[in-house]
Order: sequence, then structure tokens, then C-alpha cells
Amino acid sequence: MKSFDVARTAFGNTMRSKMRTTLTVIAIVIGAFTLTVTSGLAAGVNQTIDDMVAGYGEEDELFIMPAAAMGMGENTGPGPQEYDPEEAHQESEFGQAMLSDEDIETIEGIEGVTNVDPIFFVSADYLEAQGNQYKLNNLDFPANGPAMELVAGELPSRENMEITIPDTWLTIFDEDADDYEEIDPEIALGETVEIGISNMVLEQDTFDAEIVGVSTQNLAGIGGAPLPSNALNDALYEFQNSGLDVERPDAFVQAVASVENLESNEQRVKDALMDEGMVGMTLEDMLGIIQSVIDAIAWVLYGFALIALLAASFGIVNTLLMSVQERTREIGLMKALGMSSGKVFGLFSMEAVVIGILGSVIGVALGLGGGFLANGWLTGSGGPLSTVGGLTLFALNVPALLAILGVIIVIAFLAGTLPAARAAKKDPIEALRYE
Amino acid sequence: MSAPVLETENLVKVYGRGESRFDALKGLTFEIHQGESVAIVGKSGSGKSTLMHLLALLDAPTAGVVALEGQPVNKLKPKQVSKLRNEIFGFVFQQFFLNPNQTVLENVTLPLKIAGVGTAERNRRGMAALEQLEMADKAKNKATNLSGGQKQRVCIARALINNPSVLFADEPTGNLDTNTGEIVEDILFGLHRDHGITLVVVTHDEDLAAKCQRRLIMQDGLIVREETGSSLPAEASHQEDAQ
Repeated sequence: MKSFDVARTAFGNTMRSKMRTTLTVIAIVIGAFTLTVTSGLAAGVNQTIDDMVAGYGEEDELFIMPAAAMGMGENTGPGPQEYDPEEAHQESEFGQAMLSDEDIETIEGIEGVTNVDPIFFVSADYLEAQGNQYKLNNLDFPANGPAMELVAGELPSRENMEITIPDTWLTIFDEDADDYEEIDPEIALGETVEIGISNMVLEQDTFDAEIVGVSTQNLAGIGGAPLPSNALNDALYEFQNSGLDVERPDAFVQAVASVENLESNEQRVKDALMDEGMVGMTLEDMLGIIQSVIDAIAWVLYGFALIALLAASFGIVNTLLMSVQERTREIGLMKALGMSSGKVFGLFSMEAVVIGILGSVIGVALGLGGGFLANGWLTGSGGPLSTVGGLTLFALNVPALLAILGVIIVIAFLAGTLPAARAAKKDPIEALRYE
Repeated sequence: MSAPVLETENLVKVYGRGESRFDALKGLTFEIHQGESVAIVGKSGSGKSTLMHLLALLDAPTAGVVALEGQPVNKLKPKQVSKLRNEIFGFVFQQFFLNPNQTVLENVTLPLKIAGVGTAERNRRGMAALEQLEMADKAKNKATNLSGGQKQRVCIARALINNPSVLFADEPTGNLDTNTGEIVEDILFGLHRDHGITLVVVTHDEDLAAKCQRRLIMQDGLIVREETGSSLPAEASHQEDAQ
């Protein structure tokens, strides 16, 4: 018997009892569907994260924190810690360890580091535009700029007094609009706003800044607040800390260091930082934590889907055993007419494979259809997740889909081996006598 | 006499062991020659079916040898035996054994499909075999929608499709009424006469057996008597012509 005839006969045989085949296939479809949706979800969320990483123009950046803030290094743990007057100044109001000017200089001294931007909190009072004053609870860090998604304009340049605003703030410039989404973001560009800020003795001053860009909030939350240029941020910070006669040492929660040839220098710089009681992390390190959590969740879901497939494979065994029993005479005839046991085995295991192919193709197609529809509905305009900028819930992962098809077909084949062996073992005389 | 196509030597078949031991065949030695028609006759339980299964290579003997065209088959691998059955034998069964859900043509071409012949060639030869048995107009029908005689003709067409040298017929008229049975007999002996096919008929029907050139009468696992001479006049003259 030719392979083509085996395949065609197997297909014809599975179509013979449509009800039984359909029910068996449904079980496989459920498993294939779950696997497809899981792979699509994992791919979608990971793609979103990759997009965020790609959004950061400067990937040669290290984010540096004091080791103590990360629960690393010496002087941490639940027991009493020795008091160090030097360090005491360098803690935020919440007791978090911070970086000092000295630390920044140390970082600058590490070979390979080209630039260090300390990150500090600026707490401004208001933003005035079009004659109105708006509360300015928080300003984004200039270091987050490269990760920000812009819908119009560009990032603030380092030296000029510039700022970006989130798209939700566009209503300032068009009070007639019902929804910020209807406003053309270009109208805000070039407008000058005034930022009011208070210093240590509660004197207020204002700084002018030009709007150069309009951002939209991405999955990491960046772009949801106005983002000042370095120059504006420095000016605001300087004024914020002025007014007292006492010189207060600067303290920073984080610093962003640019490293040349990050790939080759990464480990060396990280080690050098560790020696100084600081921890450096690349963007990938930070997002990698999220990605590994997502992957872990995906693998749990894959596990459940595989359990469903395991259950479905017993359906195949059951269906084919029934089929072998019903077709005992037919098997006897085929063997009497010269079909070898190997070919009989091949024919029945092929029937299992046909069921596997049917189930997996239908399941994957439904999974893809459902996934993309749900993605379109949830993250599309007006959908419940449409406000989360740059979110992709479901993406196509072709190698994963091929692997799913392969795994299911292999499982189906394995499930078919028991009934197929039964069929192959039948004695033609006995089988022909079977009533 | 032509060379023996099938020969046996001290053929023994035992089923079960100990208390339930049953000696179905107790040492048979005989030959069947090319172009012969042989009837294996006996009551049920005489061992005639067992003998046919051994001759048709569907079963292996407990002891003794079956040789096909002078070659002992007990040394062959199962796969080779299957191939021999497919190429050299044709089978006509009492219960027909047609697959009810397949068309007549699909049923007839099954041996060729097993042999690995392509679809076009299969259908061409299938139609030729059906035409030979005047069943070509039923080629597309499902096998269930046929009368008993038609089913047996389809079964014969299937047996002929691979141009076998030996045709085994196991009670070929057992499920047919007298008239239809006679028609089927005529077809079988016609094939034997016109195409020189070796015919091995297993039956308990004396009239059918009488039409064969040779009869092996079986009883309790032994050939108790052997008769020659056919009741068919045409056959006898053909035999004389041949000699």
C-alpha cells in the first residue's frame, strides 16, 4: 500500500463515524486552543515589553541604586544595624538608602562610564497654561525620556528649558473637545507654559518651559506625567532646595549611567559598582524580571493545556479501540489479501494522526481567531484596555504554533499505537470469523 | 502432468494442548498441480477449512511443510508471505466480506491498493474485472445494495484482479440460492477452463465437488479417499485436448 493511499484511506475511515470522530476531535481542539491562546498571550506581552525596550533609544544605560535599597550588600537584614552619621543624611523620608554626590563621582570614575545623570525628585506646585493653573503632582524623570512614547513632537533637549505633556492634558488647549483623543496633539507644540514651585521656606517662583512633545502613557507608566528637560529639572531642583542657610547634602534615589560598549563592559562595571555598595541594572535586567514572571505563568498554562491533551489522548485510544473492534473483519480481510501487519499498524496509527491534525488545526485556528479578536476588542479604541498605551495582548508566534501542532500530532500518534498494535496483531482467520 | 503449484508433506495442525488438545490435521501429503480444479470435501469438523487456511498461507502448520511452486514457505518472513498471498492467490469467501461502506469498484480494487498500485491503474483493471463479470454498471454502487449473487460476483472480481494463479473458494455457493449458485459455479469453472487458473474449492456440497477434476475427501483430519474425473463434460474434453 502506498503512503498516499494509507493517508487517504485513514482519512476516509475517520470520516466514517462522524459523530465519534467529532467528539474526539473536540477534546483535542480544546487542548490546542488553550495552547494557542497561551502562546499568543505570552508572545503578545513579551512583544509589548520588547517594544518598550526598543523604545529606549539608549540601550547602553545602567540604572544604579544603592545596594541597600535592593536588599543587597552589607548592613541589611532584620537585626539592629549600626548607625553611620555619614549615611544618615542620605536617606529619603521613607528611610530608603540613597546615592550621595560622592557616589556619583565614584560612578563617573569607573572605566567605561561616559555620563552619569542622578535622578532626583522634583515636587512642583502647578503648571500654568492658557491663563489657567493646573495641579502638578509629579513630574517624570528626564532619564525616562528615551522610554517614552511620543504621539507628536520630540523629546526635550538636554540644555533647553523644555517639557513634554501627556496626551490626556491636551484638553488645556482645546476646551471645547469632549475627549482628549479627538484633539490634534500638534496644537500644543510650541506653546509656553509656566511651572510654579516652592522652596524650603515656602517662597514660590516660576519657570517658563516650551512644550516640544506630547506623550502617551505606556505599559510601564512612563509618559503619563509632564517630563521636563534636564536643564528645566535641574533649575527646579536647585530652587526647591534653596532658601535655607544650611547646605544640605544632595541625595539621589537612582542614577542613570551611560556606558560605552555596554555588552562587553556590563559585567565589569556591575562588579565595580558592587564593590562600592551599589547595584547596576540594565533595562533588560529590569524587564527580564517581568518577562520571566510572564514566562512562568505561560508555562503553568501550557501545563494545564497539556493535561487537557493527555485526557484527550485517552479519547483517541478509546475511539480507535472501538473502531478496531468494529472493523475486525475488515482487518482480517486486508490481512488475508496480503496487507502486512506493519501496514495495518500504519493505517490505524495514521487514523490517530488524522484526528490529531484535525483537532490541532481547528484548535489553533480558533485560538488565533479568538486571540486576535479579543486583542482587537480589548486594546482597540473604546476597549477596556485601550488606555494602556502600546499594549499587545496577543501576538503571532509561528515557531510556538508549529511546536503545538507537532506536539499534538506526536501525542495523537502515541495514543494511536495501542489500538494500532491491537489491529496489527489480529489473526486473519480469527478476524474473518468474528461476528 | 504440469508441475505442482502447491504441495504438502506430512502436514499436521494441532489446536490447544493437554486435555483440550485437538488434532485438526493428522499428517497430510499431497500435490495440487497448475491448472487443476480440486475440491476439498468433508463434513464440518473434518479439517477441510484448516487445510485450506494452511494451503492459502493464512496459518502456519504445527508440523510439516507447505511448498509453493517448489519453495517451502515456512522459512519465509511474515511480510514475504503476505506479499505472496497478495500476488499469487485469489479468495472467494462464503460470506463475501465486502466492505459495506465502500463502492463496488473500491472493494474490487482492494488487493491492488494493498499491492501499492496507483489509482488510475487500479480503476482501469477494476473496471476490466467487473466487465468480465458483467458488473461494470454497478461499479459506483455501495456494496450493501447488491443481491447475494451480485455480491459473490464482486467477490470473484476482487479475487481475479491481481491475475492469481490459484483461486481459493471457501463454500462459494453456501450463501446463495440454487440458481444463483449455479451461475457462480459456471463463472468459477469458466475461469478455470478459459484462463487455466488453479481452483481449490472447499465445500460440503457434493454437486459442486463433483464438477472438480479431483476430490480430496476428508474425515477426522485425514484424507480418507481421493476421487478423479469431472462431471463437467466440457472440462473433460478440455483436459483431453490439453493432453
